[in-house]
Amino acid sequence: MSETSFPMNDLLRRKLQTSLIIISLTSCVAATLFLLLFSEKIGFGISLMVESKLTAGFSTIFSRFIIFSGLLIFVVGAVIMSFMVFVMMSQKVRDIGLMKAAGCPNDLIFGYFMTELLVVTLVGCFLGVILGIFADFASTSLFSSFGFQIMQKPINFWLVIIVFAMFFALALIFGAKPILDTTKVKPAKAFSPSYYFGVSKESGFRVTSKSGLTMKIALRSLSRHKSATIRIIICLTAVFLLATVGIAGGIIADQTTKNWIEKAVGRDIVLIAHKDMCSQYKLLLSRFYETEESTINYTDERYLVSEDILNRLGSMPNISGVDPRLVTEMHVEELQGYIIEEYKEVGDSRKGNSLVIGVEPEMVLTDCFLEGEFLKENRSWEAVIGDSLALNMFSVPLSQRLNLHGEDFVIVGVCLDPINNGNVTYVPLKNLQNITGVLKPNIVMVKTDPSADHIAVLNSIRTEIKDLNSEFEVLDLNEVLDKNLSFVGYIWSMIMFLPLISLFAASLCLIAYVMLTITEQRQEFGVLRALGANPKTIVKIVSGQSLVVLLSSCAAGIAFGIIITLLILIPEPLITSFTVAEISAWLLTALAATFIFSLYPAIRFAKKPILEIMT
Amino acid sequence: MKADKTVVLASDLCKTYEIGDAKVEVLKDVNLKVGKGEFTVISGPSGSGKTTLLNIIGGIDKPTSGKIVVFGDDLGVKDEDFLASFRCNKVGFVFQSYNLVSTLTVAENIAFPMEWTRKPENYMKERVEELLGVVGLQHRAEHFPFQLSGGEQQRVAFARALANDPPFLLIDEPTGNLDTKTSLKIVQILQKLKGNGKTVIVATHDDRIIQLADQKLYLEDGKLVSLNE
Repeated sequence: MSETSFPMNDLLRRKLQTSLIIISLTSCVAATLFLLLFSEKIGFGISLMVESKLTAGFSTIFSRFIIFSGLLIFVVGAVIMSFMVFVMMSQKVRDIGLMKAAGCPNDLIFGYFMTELLVVTLVGCFLGVILGIFADFASTSLFSSFGFQIMQKPINFWLVIIVFAMFFALALIFGAKPILDTTKVKPAKAFSPSYYFGVSKESGFRVTSKSGLTMKIALRSLSRHKSATIRIIICLTAVFLLATVGIAGGIIADQTTKNWIEKAVGRDIVLIAHKDMCSQYKLLLSRFYETEESTINYTDERYLVSEDILNRLGSMPNISGVDPRLVTEMHVEELQGYIIEEYKEVGDSRKGNSLVIGVEPEMVLTDCFLEGEFLKENRSWEAVIGDSLALNMFSVPLSQRLNLHGEDFVIVGVCLDPINNGNVTYVPLKNLQNITGVLKPNIVMVKTDPSADHIAVLNSIRTEIKDLNSEFEVLDLNEVLDKNLSFVGYIWSMIMFLPLISLFAASLCLIAYVMLTITEQRQEFGVLRALGANPKTIVKIVSGQSLVVLLSSCAAGIAFGIIITLLILIPEPLITSFTVAEISAWLLTALAATFIFSLYPAIRFAKKPILEIMT
Repeated sequence: MKADKTVVLASDLCKTYEIGDAKVEVLKDVNLKVGKGEFTVISGPSGSGKTTLLNIIGGIDKPTSGKIVVFGDDLGVKDEDFLASFRCNKVGFVFQSYNLVSTLTVAENIAFPMEWTRKPENYMKERVEELLGVVGLQHRAEHFPFQLSGGEQQRVAFARALANDPPFLLIDEPTGNLDTKTSLKIVQILQKLKGNGKTVIVATHDDRIIQLADQKLYLEDGKLVSLNE
């Protein structure tokens, strides 16, 4: 018998076992490669898509999510792969023991089984790569046919090679370990049923007598197959961690970021300004999701809002607030600041342009999410800057000042505001009027009474304004707000799509685990059937094992996922009872789907004739 | 012992296995009648089809053709739920290779057929103790199967088969894997069973067991003949 004929014959004669392992390895490699290739398009592609869009604060949150998800996807794939190879080789431990007992030298045994491992790993990884590329192509085509924009780009072959090489190496490392371990144990021990497949000699724990027979068998099997059980739990924990970050994190981030936008733009806010100013303001807000550029002379006299308009708006019914603003674009200069606690100066005197908005602090209708505080009525020469401006032009903004047209302003807050992509500076209206010499506002924002019919109030404002100045328009900011919110929702929904694929990979992994435990316990299941157990009992035992594994890993994965989401990924998250219900529903659905999926081999197995099970 | 009611009635029983393109006829037109309380022994060389016949009588396997009626039920046409209930309540099966459940202790292995019939916990406990006494393994109650010798495992298998006090026992080569001393204990258990009026079919080569038989049958090349005549 040559060194290759034994392994090949062994693999070919154990068709079921060999094909099961190859399918599992193929699935893992394919799922991971597909995740990486596809996420490069929809996930990392988001980074490219939002380039020069969003604000710095929003981009940071998106980037963190994408990078974290990408890392987790790879880790999950590697863990799944190592688990599968470990189980495969652990099942061969008994054969190795038998061969040793028959007098076969260690190096020959090692050669046989390493060859088997190499063949299976090579075939599994190769097929996985092919399937992964095909799945990526099919998904992209499918998405395109549904009208979703997925970036069309050639396959990143470096990624393919890296995935293949890493998984191949991992498979060899994790697969070689059980072979090496077994060559060290005594033959009698190696082929003892209590040794192979990681079965420990003592059960280690007792189940109470009241617990059902099925759970008793299920739990003891799990506790005895410690190595395999711990590995599958680690594997599924990583998957559920990814799923939680994607689902729970995605939902929380989606609602939190939408809430920030809604507070910054304002709900039921109406803009009254010259038609050019209306277009420009709309464009400034749209820069959150479009890259169109346009500039106008903000201080053109035609754009200024007359006292008549302000007075008329102030006297109209169903209007809960009037917020006059002077919008302009100015040259901004960073001024050095001093951090007292650290005895050091900060700031590089950077210069740039910013949208500058003069507001009357007590009349501001919007409420940005901010660090620090907003402008106060009785204080002047203070400024609140947008997050992009803060990130790009200031070192420690809240300890610094900025210069506008020769005047210094103390920065008291940094806000998340989608207008002009966060490149914005809010200053008191009077100060801006002094600097620019423009004594009237060029836009007015009014908030309609929430209890009134928004459209009706909007129409009455339109009528009033048309009478006063036909060049002026009334713009309903709800439309722009909804577009901003849709854009954010679209991005999050794509990020949340990633864990769905991981869950599919996890289900495959769990199926493989269930199949392997069934294979290992098939004789016993046959006995149970022969002694009067009906097929449902077998399904109950296997489903009990799956459930314990799933619930343990789910609890750990979800707990870590929530902690990571809330403590690392999203600052000041918005969590309502609806959010909790939505997240719970999604995660329970994921859990249930994975569980049901994993029952397939048990149901199929239970239908087999008893003699087929026992032989 | 005279039978007053038929427990097993097999008519023209055939069983053929298909292995690839080849067909292996294991049982050929087997006819068999076993009365209530009768102790029947089937002997024959290895591969003659003894285990297959026991499997068909026990509702584990189905015949390719012919009829197998046990306790008045035609097992060949019954569904899996009926057969499961039949195996649990009416038959005690002792396998040649013991087939204990490795994840259950000796006591639990004996108890689990009773759990399916939802016997009260106290009853189960007392019954397990009683059966452990019958097979002489009280001191092994909390051990797992892999901690027992072959003979001990076989005795646990007997205790398990008797757990639900079935009226009918099917026993496959009970002493085939055991040494003489241990075999003697098994023969003693079989003698007790015969004394209790159970209907028993044993597949064996062991002369000591054959001597206990009311009905002696011989199976060779799939054909069953009576040795009584």
